Amino acid sequence: MFEVFKKEIKELLRDKKTLLFVVALPVLIFPILFALMGYLMSQATIEAEQKIHVYAITGSEYAPEFSEKIMFHKNFQLSDTKYKTVDEMKDAVKSGDLDVGILIHNNARTTLSEGIQSDWTVVFNDSSALNFIYKRVNDALNSFSEILQAEKFEQLGVTKEQSIALLNPIKLEKIDTADKRENLGEKLGAIIPYLLIPLVLAGASYPAIDLGAGEKERGTLETLLLTPVTRTELVLGKFFTVLVSSLATACITVVSMGFWASVAGRFFDAQIITEVMGAIGVVDLSLILLMLVPLAGIFSSLVLAISIYARTFKEAQNYMGPLSMVAFMPLLVAMMPNMELTMNTAMIPITNVALAIKELIKGTVDYSMVGMIFAATLVLAGVLMSFCVHWFKKESVLFR
Amino acid sequence: MIEVAGLKKRFKLTKDHKIDKQQSIDPRQEADYFHSVRDVSFHCDKGEVLGLLGPNGAGKTTTLRMLSTALLPDQGMIQVNGVDVVKDPLLARKKIGFLSGSTGLYGRLTAKENIEYFGKLHGMNKKVLKIRAEELYEMLDMNSFVHKRAEHLSTGMKQKTNIARAVIHSPEVVVLDEPTTGLDIMATQTVIKFIQDLKSQGTPVIFSTHHLDEIDLLCERVSVINEGISCFNGTLAQFRETGNSQILNEAFLNILQEKSNV
Repeated sequence: MFEVFKKEIKELLRDKKTLLFVVALPVLIFPILFALMGYLMSQATIEAEQKIHVYAITGSEYAPEFSEKIMFHKNFQLSDTKYKTVDEMKDAVKSGDLDVGILIHNNARTTLSEGIQSDWTVVFNDSSALNFIYKRVNDALNSFSEILQAEKFEQLGVTKEQSIALLNPIKLEKIDTADKRENLGEKLGAIIPYLLIPLVLAGASYPAIDLGAGEKERGTLETLLLTPVTRTELVLGKFFTVLVSSLATACITVVSMGFWASVAGRFFDAQIITEVMGAIGVVDLSLILLMLVPLAGIFSSLVLAISIYARTFKEAQNYMGPLSMVAFMPLLVAMMPNMELTMNTAMIPITNVALAIKELIKGTVDYSMVGMIFAATLVLAGVLMSFCVHWFKKESVLFR
Repeated sequence: MIEVAGLKKRFKLTKDHKIDKQQSIDPRQEADYFHSVRDVSFHCDKGEVLGLLGPNGAGKTTTLRMLSTALLPDQGMIQVNGVDVVKDPLLARKKIGFLSGSTGLYGRLTAKENIEYFGKLHGMNKKVLKIRAEELYEMLDMNSFVHKRAEHLSTGMKQKTNIARAVIHSPEVVVLDEPTTGLDIMATQTVIKFIQDLKSQGTPVIFSTHHLDEIDLLCERVSVINEGISCFNGTLAQFRETGNSQILNEAFLNILQEKSNV
């Protein structure tokens, strides 16, 4: 068995394609992609923030403080053309001559003294995800409203303190018992298993295809079967190769993520991330990796069984697609908001591991539950492995 | 020596097979099963070379696979030098060297690593393996390329590597399944020379082929399989006699014809 394992590893290490997927992808390509994504996002945000909106205002005489504020706002620039109606403004916004049109229909001071609301209209295109127009107009409008409120309260003889109480009768103080780690863990903890688990699967499936269907296609399987090594030993040698490759992918990814996070931490102010990373600690981190071992066992058995069944590389690859869909579904369940680790969710394979990893990152984990999940996953991995061994002994599978 | 008697093997039909069942006229198809090998017997003594003949799909490969322990026969007896292959396949494998025309090599390993891997799987210790491997490199004239990766070797070099791999454990009998199919003349010659060497050492060889000139050149005995049944067993002279022709091709066709007429 050890000879088989040794030879498979040797062959694997000489395969550039597998190395690319197992090493280069997590070490170089992923960080570069993430960095590029982050860069583009921040660029888009900065651009939206710095954008200057061409605006037109009708009825500015009804709200002088408001129009003055907009006029001196660094992000607003008054349009040369005048627009009378909403439709005119709409057309101008559509044609791109105008970014935002503001219509003030009546004098806010007069309407307030009459005890009714003043009607204003703002015309702009709100389709963009990053849009500051409405917020900026609203900010200016709020400060104008505050002026009006203050004037009115003064007329009525209400003091400043009273006016604050009148506007907000109740002051609510929020005390969050969740610490930083728990808060961030809830968000980050859902993403990390989502990255790790598919990598465990990918790390298993690339070599598995080569070890099963690859042997059939190259015509080496038959000779291998004719050596005085039992089929159980042969399949176990292959199984452990796949398992090691799968775990190596996960470990390399974790190490490279840690490395790049620390690099990023030097350039940007990522204090929270560093703090959380520090708080997770060695025990929890090794528990996370430990949870991945039986999971990698499950995946390795599955992909190896598929690969042994397939006649060719291509056939094996065709089967891998649906399998990864099957593996993604329980992950999506774990990603759902408010999904917690309970007795019920602990029963769903893959979901339970993803949730346990999330809890470990949050630092709110019930260790006995983790132990139970570990045991259950290990049992499932064992069952699948023995299935794989049995599968490898069937003539109808080997000689299709 | 090798002795095979009353071998039977059937395969369960899959759905794909059942669909074209109507078109099939093969008498071996029956309900859910395809009786690939129905009754095959032959024997090969020390120092003899047995040629296995038969049309495509006659059951030659299945027979040789059972002989080499890859498949388990449903019925029948196979003995190699007194070892029951069916009952004790692990022991039998040490005594059998097997090579087929479609056998491949591990492309990313060198020729040497390919050969040594199988030696190790056969449980050979390092010293013995090294001596035996060097003997084979010398014999097959392989020293110029043993350190090259198998994927960079020419067909002839690959075939030499395959031969060395098949006999690294010094098997007592050698089984070859169409070893020359798809090879050029040079590579074919390597295989023929290899069989002749085995013969001179007294190692029994069984090989299947479609080239009757190879039979003429190498074999003492001939066995013909048609539709899963042995229809001729005997010496080359008896083959010519039964087939009623000095030309082997004609003799072969006559034997097949005769059987289907009966």
